[in-house]
Amino acid sequence: MNRAATAPATLHGLLYYAGLTWFLCRVSLRRLVTYRADFLLGAIGFVVRTGVQCLLIGIVFNWVPTLDGWTRDEVLFLFGFALLPRGLDRLFTDWLWFVAGRLVYTGEFDRYLVRPLRPLYSIVAERFLWPDGAAELIVGISLVGYAGHRLDVPLWSAGTLVVAPLCVLCGALIYASVKLLCASLAFWVLISHPTMHAANQVAEFAGFPVGLYPAPFQWVLTWVLPFAFTATVPVAYLLSGEPGQLVWLPVVTAGAVAVALAAWTRGLAAYRSTGN
Amino acid sequence: MAGSVVRYLAFVGVGFQSVLRYRASFFVSVATTATTTAVVVFLWRAVYQHPSHPAPGGFTLPTITTYLLVAQLLIRLHDNRVDSEFANDIMTGNIAVALARPARYPLMRFCLAVPVIVADLLLVALPVLALFAWLFPLRWPGAADLALFAVAAACSVVLAFAVNLITGMHAIVTTNTWGVTLLKTTVVGLFSGGLVPTDAMPAPLAHAAALLPFRSMIDTPVRLFLGRYDTTADALRLLAHQALWTAGTVLLCALLWRRLVVRIGVLRG
Repeated sequence: MNRAATAPATLHGLLYYAGLTWFLCRVSLRRLVTYRADFLLGAIGFVVRTGVQCLLIGIVFNWVPTLDGWTRDEVLFLFGFALLPRGLDRLFTDWLWFVAGRLVYTGEFDRYLVRPLRPLYSIVAERFLWPDGAAELIVGISLVGYAGHRLDVPLWSAGTLVVAPLCVLCGALIYASVKLLCASLAFWVLISHPTMHAANQVAEFAGFPVGLYPAPFQWVLTWVLPFAFTATVPVAYLLSGEPGQLVWLPVVTAGAVAVALAAWTRGLAAYRSTGN
Repeated sequence: MAGSVVRYLAFVGVGFQSVLRYRASFFVSVATTATTTAVVVFLWRAVYQHPSHPAPGGFTLPTITTYLLVAQLLIRLHDNRVDSEFANDIMTGNIAVALARPARYPLMRFCLAVPVIVADLLLVALPVLALFAWLFPLRWPGAADLALFAVAAACSVVLAFAVNLITGMHAIVTTNTWGVTLLKTTVVGLFSGGLVPTDAMPAPLAHAAALLPFRSMIDTPVRLFLGRYDTTADALRLLAHQALWTAGTVLLCALLWRRLVVRIGVLRG
């Protein structure tokens, strides 16, 4: 195997991976054009689901002016923003679901070990630019734009344009880390899909202000499965300008990524293919 | 007749064995059900605890908690995955083997699902109910309301099965299964009262919900559980309304199946 080409730490390696990513994204776009109806059905299902959730927010705020100090438009802004890191993560790492559900169990994972690439890259590269993630991003951006406009959030100020994308990126890394950690468990327990599903379900809490939940829940959502950092924390900053817990975002993201990568590396070492 | 009952009981046995094989999944199911329930419960509890005391739909804090909890548990029992399993049978071509068996396919699917539903009730719904009963004060029904609820809940399971099977039939025509399933889950969730109790819905939405069968899946059983009806005749009317929708949907399911089964093409064969 050509080590120089596969070690991303060198400049040559980085360029190689960047070129490959560009190529694989183009392959994905071609797949999208081929299976247009499939994409449309998925997108319609997703848009209707988001619409119903917005309707729920609307109905709730018909009854009360504020919830935990948040107004209707603020909650809509939060709900839309929460879709962005989720969508960005789905756009690039959704093949991890198959590591958790099938690839390790059946031994198909072998295929990724013999490719002249980092196994983790080779795994996630199966689904670069997954279109379902794009639907989430488009709906999320529309909601943030609509609610941000009504709230007079300075969406086009230099500060927002720098901080908001960074927050979305960190949030996506947190989502990817939780997924990677759950997927890595499969190396020991063979199928970790249910665990991953459960962790993913907890992310549903992120669509609403974490202040709605009792203190122990808030603590778990902030420091154990840190989904609070994917939405509530950055949105609180964007709406008020007060950094609050935002200063912890880089630390939490780095911590989550480090834990997930450590689990992946150890799991990879523990991987024994199927017996026969 | 007796022979055919025995034949279908065999499928119930197979379904039961699959339940035993995947015991661990029920623990995870408890966690996911508790999580989805908690999101809705905390959201609505925040509304009812608001200082302005809006009390939408005339619920109190314990009754709204009970409503949403029982609604989410029913949704769990209705989620029998028959839509995705049916769609999978079509896509893989396994349907050919199933059709060759001397049993009606929809009935066979129902028999396979029954043990899963019973296991979901005992191993998922009851533990989650116990968890929330420990966390929050709930409103418990009397013996009569509990009996009415049991009948309505059983009926709703049949209705949900028919709705799921109809959803699964789209796989004969298209290949994207999760998009359509997501659409169904969303529409049913909204109009059944699972997300917003029908009494707290804005008028246009409540009117739409009244015209659709989905209300019988969640709102009717939960309403009986909470005793939210005026007279016994009222309660019986609710049950009759639900039975009518169930019979109609099952009939529609059977008709669609007869029309579509001839269109199934296995690997272009």
